[in-house]
Amino acid sequence: MIDQRIYEMFCEIGRDLYEGNMISSHGGNLSVRLGDRVVIKRRGAQLGRLKPHDLIETRLDKNDSGVALASTELLVHRTVYLNTPALAICHCHPRTAIAFSLSRDELVPIDNEASYLLKKVPVVTEEFASGTPQMAHKVAEALKNYKIIMLRGHGSFATGQTLDEAFHWSSTLEESCQIELAVKQINEPFIEYRKMSESYNKF
Amino acid sequence: MAGWSEKILDIDLSKKTYKTYPLDMEMARLFIGGRGLGARLLWEMVGPEVDPLSPENVLIFTNGPLTGTGYQTSNRFSVSTKSPLTGTVLDANSGGFWGMQFKKAGYDVMIVRGKAERPVWIEIKNDEITFHDASELWGMRVFAVTQKLGQNNNKRNVLCIGPAGENLSRIASIMNDRERALARGGPGAVMGSKNLKAIVVEGKERPAINDPERFKFLLYETRKLLAASPLTSQALPEFGTVVLMNIMNNIGALATRNHQQTQFEGAEAISGEELTEKYLVKNASCWACPIGCTRISKTEKVEGEGPEFESTWAFGAQCGIDDLPAIIEANTLCNDLGLDTISAGSTIACAMELSEKGYMDSDLRFGRADQLAPTIEAMAYRKDVGADLADGSLRLATKYGHTELSMSAKGMEMPAYDPRGMQGQGLLYATSNRGGCHMRGNMVGPEVLGLPKMIDRFQVQGKSSFVILHQNVSAAIDSLVVCKFTNMGVSDEYFARVLSSVTGIQYDTGELTRVGERVWNLERMYNLREGFTRKDDTLPPRLLNDAPTDGPSKGWVVQLEPMLKEYYRGRGWDENGVPKPKKLADLGLAGL
Repeated sequence: MIDQRIYEMFCEIGRDLYEGNMISSHGGNLSVRLGDRVVIKRRGAQLGRLKPHDLIETRLDKNDSGVALASTELLVHRTVYLNTPALAICHCHPRTAIAFSLSRDELVPIDNEASYLLKKVPVVTEEFASGTPQMAHKVAEALKNYKIIMLRGHGSFATGQTLDEAFHWSSTLEESCQIELAVKQINEPFIEYRKMSESYNKF
Repeated sequence: MAGWSEKILDIDLSKKTYKTYPLDMEMARLFIGGRGLGARLLWEMVGPEVDPLSPENVLIFTNGPLTGTGYQTSNRFSVSTKSPLTGTVLDANSGGFWGMQFKKAGYDVMIVRGKAERPVWIEIKNDEITFHDASELWGMRVFAVTQKLGQNNNKRNVLCIGPAGENLSRIASIMNDRERALARGGPGAVMGSKNLKAIVVEGKERPAINDPERFKFLLYETRKLLAASPLTSQALPEFGTVVLMNIMNNIGALATRNHQQTQFEGAEAISGEELTEKYLVKNASCWACPIGCTRISKTEKVEGEGPEFESTWAFGAQCGIDDLPAIIEANTLCNDLGLDTISAGSTIACAMELSEKGYMDSDLRFGRADQLAPTIEAMAYRKDVGADLADGSLRLATKYGHTELSMSAKGMEMPAYDPRGMQGQGLLYATSNRGGCHMRGNMVGPEVLGLPKMIDRFQVQGKSSFVILHQNVSAAIDSLVVCKFTNMGVSDEYFARVLSSVTGIQYDTGELTRVGERVWNLERMYNLREGFTRKDDTLPPRLLNDAPTDGPSKGWVVQLEPMLKEYYRGRGWDENGVPKPKKLADLGLAGL
């Protein structure tokens, strides 16, 4: 039985992701780690319209019957939990960030908020980007050093102690990319305002 | 290798000799320094057969790769030993200046073993180690000894015990830089049992940094983050740690009158706001700290550092006392006598309840501010009623047949946060390796302050994950060694990056947390070897059975059992709380 507080947290963040245009109707997923167990969105469920039966609890280290119902990206989430201190994961499809990920190997923010919070977001490439062991390994490796990463052409994976925190990094990245897109449209010379910004790409 | 001096100083007081030898660098990579390195060495050196107050116990002073580098709050150091209060593994850490000086003296570790025939003090000037007769210092209080031995913050630093340590009080602290404390668990008694009064250090070596450019960038970014956090740039500098008094009281999680209530009607009178307005002389800082949470307070009778939140609570709400000058004076007196303020205050509160209920024949009563100073004096010298109180609340309550009135876990008095209003904190106290302690992964961050994000403080399911993570991170920070307040503005990933830039070894956030997990499991194995079992992972019955009858925590007790089961599973331990062989092997601890 999943605690009502945990269910409400999934509902709130899931709805915000959908209403914030960070996912399509059935896209993205969320999970939290509870000791040696994982609670994750049910496969095919809509994050913006979660019901209590849409949350699946399963083991972290091996399969049980819950795996039959869990998100296709369960393996990625498990691998991240086993390789990082994360207690929550937010995976979404932020459109502007995805667009930039198609032409860059890292996203280095230029706006103040994301510079402050993220410094740098690496872009990882995996052709079969849907829950494969290769993808799980690459995402987990990248998340050892960064709290949010982009999977090229697919979306972001962010970690935190809570879903709230992982969502924070996700929305910050998308906002930052939207700002950079606007800057490109304005097309005027950039005035650097950050000391030591040349070191951000070394972060 | 940058970050470590790669040298251990090993002192035998029985023979008045010393030797130096290289630090095992593989051990250093795995345990880093500070608490981690201390625990690893203690595991080898002090087994279950050793009485904590015998010459066979050791004091292991350690710094870490970040100590003395100039990174924000890189002033801290540790002492590890077997605790005479709890019988568990113990580390206590402290800020100030001594740790930085110790690093500059060119050592990662100083082991003190044996027992001097007569009182001695030790002077360290890099490779020059001198044993001095301390006969004339024995009996002197901390402030006088510190001054007499030439404390000079950036050049020469004094660490010593007071009368409480000499008299083997099991809640005696080791003091450094006059009013900083290695406070908890009775390390002062271990030092007293060795006839060691003081250790003075002067160092000349500048710690090396592997990647100065990256270090400089991280230093700059950390400064920005600390300046941006309202906690580290406003709340702590303006009100000190006592800023928590009103916050904890408002949510009904301020232990009051020996945990009989969870709110104190006099909280406002002993709050950070009151302290700042009426008694604060100025702020002060430990070395390389931009936060400056230290208070210099003054009453008609005393002027000195503090009080911290826990001390103010221990002599205040826990004793039902709302007289702030009396609390400030009690705090200063403890510093001068070398007593842990949390244990001292909570032990007095325990005696007050025992006396009010007629179990103990004394005139101690809740609310009696006038009784604080004389009782503390009596404790340090084991006189009168103090003879019963000098060894902490558990021994006191047990003597009078009411063990349940000791508000302790594994024999160490718990601090201010009443866990009935913070479920995670309850699990934290019950599983803490050194006993009831808030510095082993404080849940005040996520459950009260919203750091990094707010979680429901009454939530039970899933709470163990937070406790495990915070315990592991805490053990890692204690091994670096930096101040945990830095973590209020800077996330763990920065610590990993700074450690990498200083040492040249690449640690990611996960690896750093894994070091903390390794340390935690080693400490657990130490305690199991000492005979501790699952039944010791518990709390006083009051917190498990007696729900507050009013206030925001009304109706709540600590739901320990379900959290503990989840905690053991999450840690990879069996149902009895014993780490499974696979977990130990994964952590590089196979064979323990």
